[in-house]
This record gives sequence, C-alpha cells and structure tokens, in this order.
Amino acid sequence: VSRPAIFARIRNTCQALRHRGRWEGELEAELRSHVEHRAADLVRTGLPPESAERQARVELGAREAYKEQCRGAHGLRWPDELRQDLHYAVRILRHSPGFTAVALLSLALGIGVNTTVFSVINALLLRPLAVASPGDLYFVQTNQFPTNSFPNYRDLRDRNSTFSALAAYRQAPMGLAAGGGAQRIWGYLATGNYFDTLGIRPALGRFFHAEDDRQPGASPFVVLSHACWHDRFGADPRIAGKTVRINSLPYTVLGVAPPGFHGTELFFWPEVWVPMAMQPQIEGRSWLEERGTSNALVVGRLRRGVTPRRAEEDLNAIIADLARDFPIWNQGLKLTLAQPGLVGDALRNPARAFTGGVMALAALVLLTACANLASLLSARAADRDRELAIRLSIGAGRARIARQLVAESLLLSLAGGAVGCGLAAAVLRLLSRWHAPLDFPVRFEVGADGRVFAFALTVAMLTGLLFSIAPLRQVARADVNHALKGLPSATSRVRRWAARDLLLAVQVVLCCVLVTASFVALRGLARSLATPLGFEPRGVAVAGFELGLAGYGEEDGRTFQRRALAAAAGLPGVSAAAYADSVPLSIDQSTTVVFRQDAVDFRAAEAKKAAYYQVSPGYFQAMGTRLLAGRDFTWHDDRTAPPVAVVNAVFARQVIGTSAAVGSRFRRGRNRPLVEIIGVVEDGKYVSLTEAARPALFLPIVQSYNSETMLIVRSQIPASEMALQLRGTVARLDPRLPVHGTGSLAQMLGFAFFPARAATLALGVFGLLAIMLAATGIYGLAAYSVSRRVREIGIRVAVGARPRQVLRFVLGRTILLLAVGSVVGLALGLAASRVLASVVYLASPRDPFVLPATAFTMVLIGLGAALPPARRALDIDPVRALRQE
Amino acid sequence: MSRAADLLPGTLDLLILKALSLGPQHGYGVLLRIEQISGNRFQIEQGALYPALYRLEHQGLLEAEWGTSENNRRAKYYRLTAAGRRRFAEETAGWQRLVAAMSAALAARAGEVG
Repeated sequence: VSRPAIFARIRNTCQALRHRGRWEGELEAELRSHVEHRAADLVRTGLPPESAERQARVELGAREAYKEQCRGAHGLRWPDELRQDLHYAVRILRHSPGFTAVALLSLALGIGVNTTVFSVINALLLRPLAVASPGDLYFVQTNQFPTNSFPNYRDLRDRNSTFSALAAYRQAPMGLAAGGGAQRIWGYLATGNYFDTLGIRPALGRFFHAEDDRQPGASPFVVLSHACWHDRFGADPRIAGKTVRINSLPYTVLGVAPPGFHGTELFFWPEVWVPMAMQPQIEGRSWLEERGTSNALVVGRLRRGVTPRRAEEDLNAIIADLARDFPIWNQGLKLTLAQPGLVGDALRNPARAFTGGVMALAALVLLTACANLASLLSARAADRDRELAIRLSIGAGRARIARQLVAESLLLSLAGGAVGCGLAAAVLRLLSRWHAPLDFPVRFEVGADGRVFAFALTVAMLTGLLFSIAPLRQVARADVNHALKGLPSATSRVRRWAARDLLLAVQVVLCCVLVTASFVALRGLARSLATPLGFEPRGVAVAGFELGLAGYGEEDGRTFQRRALAAAAGLPGVSAAAYADSVPLSIDQSTTVVFRQDAVDFRAAEAKKAAYYQVSPGYFQAMGTRLLAGRDFTWHDDRTAPPVAVVNAVFARQVIGTSAAVGSRFRRGRNRPLVEIIGVVEDGKYVSLTEAARPALFLPIVQSYNSETMLIVRSQIPASEMALQLRGTVARLDPRLPVHGTGSLAQMLGFAFFPARAATLALGVFGLLAIMLAATGIYGLAAYSVSRRVREIGIRVAVGARPRQVLRFVLGRTILLLAVGSVVGLALGLAASRVLASVVYLASPRDPFVLPATAFTMVLIGLGAALPPARRALDIDPVRALRQE
Repeated sequence: MSRAADLLPGTLDLLILKALSLGPQHGYGVLLRIEQISGNRFQIEQGALYPALYRLEHQGLLEAEWGTSENNRRAKYYRLTAAGRRRFAEETAGWQRLVAAMSAALAARAGEVG
C-alpha cells in the first residue's frame, strides 16, 4: 500500500472518530435500508408484510457481528478498545483513591525532578544561541586562556582561509547617562563584523559594520539591547540617530537589537554594544595593540563544507607563524574550537560534569519512584488475582487483560507526568526569576520548550511501561483454577520471596545512595563554607565605582580616592577602611605573569601566573588577612619610592623558592623593573572556592593607579547598613559618579558560593524525595503484609504467640530487607564518590560523619514507616480476626 | 446443476468490484446484481456484504453517497473510484491468469508428464 493511501485511511478513521455518532447512525440506517428493500421484494413475491420484514432480518444474518466487522474494516476497533481500556482504568483507579494518590505523587515528584534537571541541561548545553544557523558558529579558545590577544585575533581574522567571518567581543562596564545621572551598565565591545558574523537583523535602525570600526576612537556608535531600549528609553521609536553619553562622551544610537538576542554568552545579558575601536575610551587603558593581554573572546563562522578539524589546523598554522614573529607570547600556544555560549569549554566542561552528575542522581530518584510503584502495583495485582481469574475464565484473552493493565499504568504515569511537568514549570519559573546578587546582568533562562515536554512525555511513557512489568508477569502466570478456589496463587503465597521484596530492596538501596549523596553534599558545603578564604568577610561592607565612567583622569582620580577613603574611615563605627581595584572571589579577577629575579627566558609559557590586586595601605587589616612576615604598605610607597609588593605564602614558595621571601625581588616581564617583596600574607581563595592553592600578588595602588575602585570598610555595624552609608558618602562627594556593587562582602561572594549552594540544594531535595518514596514503599509493604495475614496472626495470638514473636513474624522480612538494602546502598553511595566529586566541591565519601548519619537516617525511616503496621499487627483481636472472612 | 458454491476467499471483493463496475448501486442492489450476473450460483450471507463494502471504501476503492432508490427509499450508493477501477482491472486479469493456469494444470495427461 502506498504511503498517501495510508494517510488517507488514517484521515478516514479520524473523521469517523470525530463524528462517531453520525457514523454509527449511518451504519444503522444502511442496514435498515437493506432490510426494507429486501422486505419490499419479498412482499412482491407474495409474503405478508410482517413475515416479509422478519424474513428479511433473518436473511441479513448476525447484525451486531457484521456491524462490529464494519467498524473493524473502517479502522475503528483499535481506538474503540483503547477507549474501553482507559474507561476501565479510570474506574479501577477511582476505586482505590489512596493507591492512586500515592502513585501520582511518587510519579509527579520523580518526573518533575527529572524534567527540571533536563530543562537546565537543555538551556545550558543543548539549546543553541539565538543566531542565524548556530550550527557552524564556533568559539576560538587557546590552551592557556579561553580568550585571545587582540593583535592575534586580527592576524587570525585576516590570514585564515577556513572561516567566512571571525569576530571578537568583550564584556565591559560602562557609565551610561540617559536622562538623569550616569548608570553603570554592562555592555559588549564588539568588532565591526560582529552582527554580520552572527547574522542578526536589528529590530530598529541599523547595526554597526566592519567599516564603522576602522579608526581607533573614531566610531562613537552604540547599539541598544531590546530590554535597554524598552526600560531606559521608553521604547522610543525614533531612538536611532539620537545621542547618549557613555563615560561622559557622546555616542550616536544606531539601532536596537531584536528581543531574544543577548550577545554570544548564554547567561550574560549586555545592555549595549559598542564598536571595539572605542575600547580605549570605554576601558581607559588600551589593550588593542598588546599581544600579551588576552582579553578578546573570539567567535567565528566556518565556511561551508569546512570541518572544525581543518579550521583548527588552519588557525594553528597561523599561530605557528606568529610564534616565530612574537615568540614571547605565542610559543606553545594552541588553538581549539569549542561550542559558543559558555566562554568556550571554560564553563561548558564544568557545567557538563555538574549537570551530568545531577541528572544521574535525578534518574535514581525516578528509579526509586518506579520501584515503589512496581511494588505497590504487584501487591495490588496479587489482590486482583480473583478478578483476573474471573475475567480469564469468562473468555477475556490474556493479551487483552495485559493491555488493560498497561493502559492503567500508562494512564497513571501520564497523569503523574502532567503533574510533574507542572511542578517543574513552577520550579523553573523561580530559577529564571533568580538574579545574581550583584550588579552583573546574569540571567538563567531555563524555561521549558518543546524538547523538554518531549523529554517529560518519553520519561512518563517509559516509566509506565517499566512499572507495568511486574503486574504483567502476574497475568502471564495467573492460574484460573487456583484463584477461583480462593487459594492464594503461587505468586502471592506469602512465605515465598516475591518480586516485590526485591523491589523493596531496590528502593532501599537507591534511597540509601541518595541519602548518602545528600549527606556528602551537605558536608561538602559545610566544609567549603569553612574553608579558609584568606580573609574574613564577616563585618565587611563594600562599595564600588569606576572613576573613568565619570570622566576622571589619573591625577583627580587619585585625589578623589583619597578623599573617599578619608570620608569612609570617618564614618562612625568603622574600625578599618581601605580601597582596592577588586577583591578576591568577586567576579572581576586579574592575572599577571611573574618571573624570578634571575630569569632569562621570558616566554609566556615559562612564566608563573599570579592573581593580582592593587590595594591601598590598610587593605589587609580591613579584609582581615593575616600578615605572616614583613610589613603592610604605607602612603610613602608611592610613585617616587622603589616598587614594592606583598605576596602570599604560595607565591613565596613557588616563585621565590623560600617562605622567607621578604627582601627578595621578582619582575613582571622583560624590561619591567624589579619589584621588592616587603611582606608575606596568608594564602586564600582568589578565583573560585575549588581552586588549588595559587600565587597571589598585592601591589600598592598608590604606586600604580587604577580607576576601578572598591571601598572596603570593616565595622561593628551590620554590613547592609554600612553599605548604604558608603553609597551615600560617595554620592555626597560626587553625585555624578555611578556607584555599583554596594553590599556586604559576603554578598559579593555569593557568586563564588553559588555552585556549592545549588548542588547542595539539589542533592538535599533528592535525598528528601528518596526518603519519602522509600518510607511509602516500606510502609506499603509492611501494611500489606499485615492486612494479608490478619487471620494467621489471629491464630498465632490465639495459640499464645507473644508480641515479639508476632512482630518478627510480620515485619521480620521488611526489617531484613531494610538492613541488607541499607548496607548495599551505603557501599554503593560511597563508591559513587567520583560522581559526587564532580557535583560538590570538597565532597569526601570517607567523611566519618556520613556513615553514621546515613545509618541513623535509614533506621529512622524504617521505624517511622513500619511503626503503624506493627501497631496494627499487635492490636489484632484473635476472636474478631477468626470470625472474619 | 444448481448447487450453490461457497465463495473462495477474496472473491467477494472481486464480485463487488465487478457489480459496481456496471454502475453505482446501493448495498442491496449490489447483492441482487451479483446474484443476477452469477446466475444465483454463489451463496452469500447478505450481512457479510457490508464489512466487505466498508473495507473497500476504507481502501479508497469505492466512494459512497446517500441517495434515493428506485422505490423511493433512502439508500447509500457506492461507486468505483479511479483506484477502484484500476484495481478491478488488475484483479480481473490476475483471476483470468489463475484460471488459465489452473485449467492447464488440471487438464494435463499422464503422457505429457516427463
């Protein structure tokens, strides 16, 4: 049969289904018409009308059977039976509301959790950027940084033969004046070909192009994001051509980006795009000509038919040439392509490991729910032996009954899936609404799309099929004679180990694994919260400002910084105050290369890298960083004094080679002056909580100016209150200066703690769900075992069994299963440490706390779940029990 | 000899197609026409006609329309579609090949078998 014919038939069937009443009416009318015609003919042969009518009916034959055949011939039998099955399933489920509620809840939780996690993975790793044909867009990263130096980018762009376009961009803070005072916003510096590379069309006006980005400083243009245009400019339809001020300079608005477009990083939502040629005006210090500064993120579109592999070879051939011309910076450099959206592999790899681990654990939750349901269903199936036997004996086929049971399971799982989707949608809405506790435009758009719903549907169907296996086995083995005689069938005989015992054990094992995981995660979080940070965030308030945004130069900038510090230090309750360009574990981190005093090889590959901060005198006191040796900076360590630095202990050991480093010297490059170490401070965390101990370098900001300023104040007053005072103080000194990042220092660190917190929350929720599911499972089985054996218990009590014996008789097996399952689960949970290590920092399964805590929890679950059935067993009155039945 | 023959499986469909190839007809009319053209030699249970009609309609070989019969009763009239006409031709040819082959086979004599 050809394909169109099949579609025609399906359409035909569907039409009949839609107008089912009319269809049946016509079938009936057609048969009636037949009988009438026949009867009329018979009358013509001389029969009296009544007997002619009867005769015609007889000749037609088994009318109902033919009608049924007609329905079958029209493709209606299958949907008809499905409808009957579902009808029956609804009735059965309505009949046992307790079971249905428990089953729905387990499924909703299991599927909801998995849908949520999948949604996050979808948003993070699967969904492409909102650009034209995202498939051939690649991020160009190096083996040293995710970024490239701008001169290298230029050479790659001009010499490659494998990319149709190669663009560079960089996030940068800017001071945007629209209407009132200047606001600090985040934008992109982007090369002229940026929008053309991505294939984006403006919602309004135009974008800038390559010819708008040729002369340094000569292209004061800006493109607004849709949100920025909407929120800051009231969606002004004539915005194109108007002038706004950025960092006190006039810029012409060219156009507005389309609503869904937010640059080339998934979680970063810039408000404006400015041509890269304006970089010196935006950031103050130009790195466009520095081969040693890797600040440009590079993204490119492959030519048609070029493989990523060939493009990598092409780029690396160019880099090899560059390494001959500029060996210091380019020797040992290797480029690779990565998917864009998460700073190349820099964020993608950890994100993949993290979400993969969480997904695996979520799948365990769902498996627990499945085991739970399967054991509930098979217990029910045992009770339904008689019903099944009756249906079999009156001629229902086993296949039909099996399909009936599968329909029941699928109905349950689809309903559970629907509720689960609802739950997931609620959680995702919360997640999407979450904003980073900073002046940083981070947003997680993790809403569900078609792919997520397809996932949920698939999971629900698979779940339904999975947990209908147990009852199906029951049908296959149902023994009609046995069951009708009122005997328990072979499968439900109580003394034998049944499949549901195994299922309970599986539940206990899975629950135990998840509980272990939650405890390991909780301990990991506790430990990472207690990790020495190298400073004491409690009691510290901060406020940041970028002097460049208000048009300050170096001289008046220095003066302003000193005045602001004096004003802050003079606030009541302040015990220490300082300023710096940035603080550890905030988002803004810088790295510098350092060389020993006697170094002769200054290639980048040979250098040590150190986190570096420019700080004022008093910084260590304000931050609570302990000075191990030497002295702090003073106001005399200024431009006229010899260059000095404070380093951390790792720097002293790794760069200088001795912990007694005070007085030693190092330099930051060939032809750079020697710097003398005047103090050594304790080690800390600088970029992330999970990093290994690394060198850090503190330079006096008085000696080397930086317009990015963060005021740091330690006081007894609550930090939130102090932060407001700081903001007020700066505003009084210069109302035009946008202040950002005001808050407690602990708040600023929220970003660094986010992964650990998220993981602990997720694992905690999984653990709780698993506990709930296992408790229901244990309770269900124990209660079932008591209710099946009321009579037997009655007899035992009547002949003198003591409560302890009764308990052992009823619950012995449950307890045994619980114990064995817990031991196995604990062992598995500890063995799964590698998965956990990817999810939770500092997760150690060898923690002495985890084992007893998990064991204790499992005992609690067992007691809580088995207590009500145990009480019921003890309360059985032998007289009444024996009179029953 | 007027003994009615049982229909071979599948031949009812072919007979219906044949009956309708002579012009549109309602169910009872198809029955009469088959009886007429076969000289009453086939035993067809009247009701069995309808599942066959529905099957052929579902396959797109027939189309149906309600109308009024010669004695002024409502009746559902079937007619061959283009596909039905094609199928009728194919089936007829196939049937004739089968008959020829069977006849030749059954007429074989001992001498002709090597």
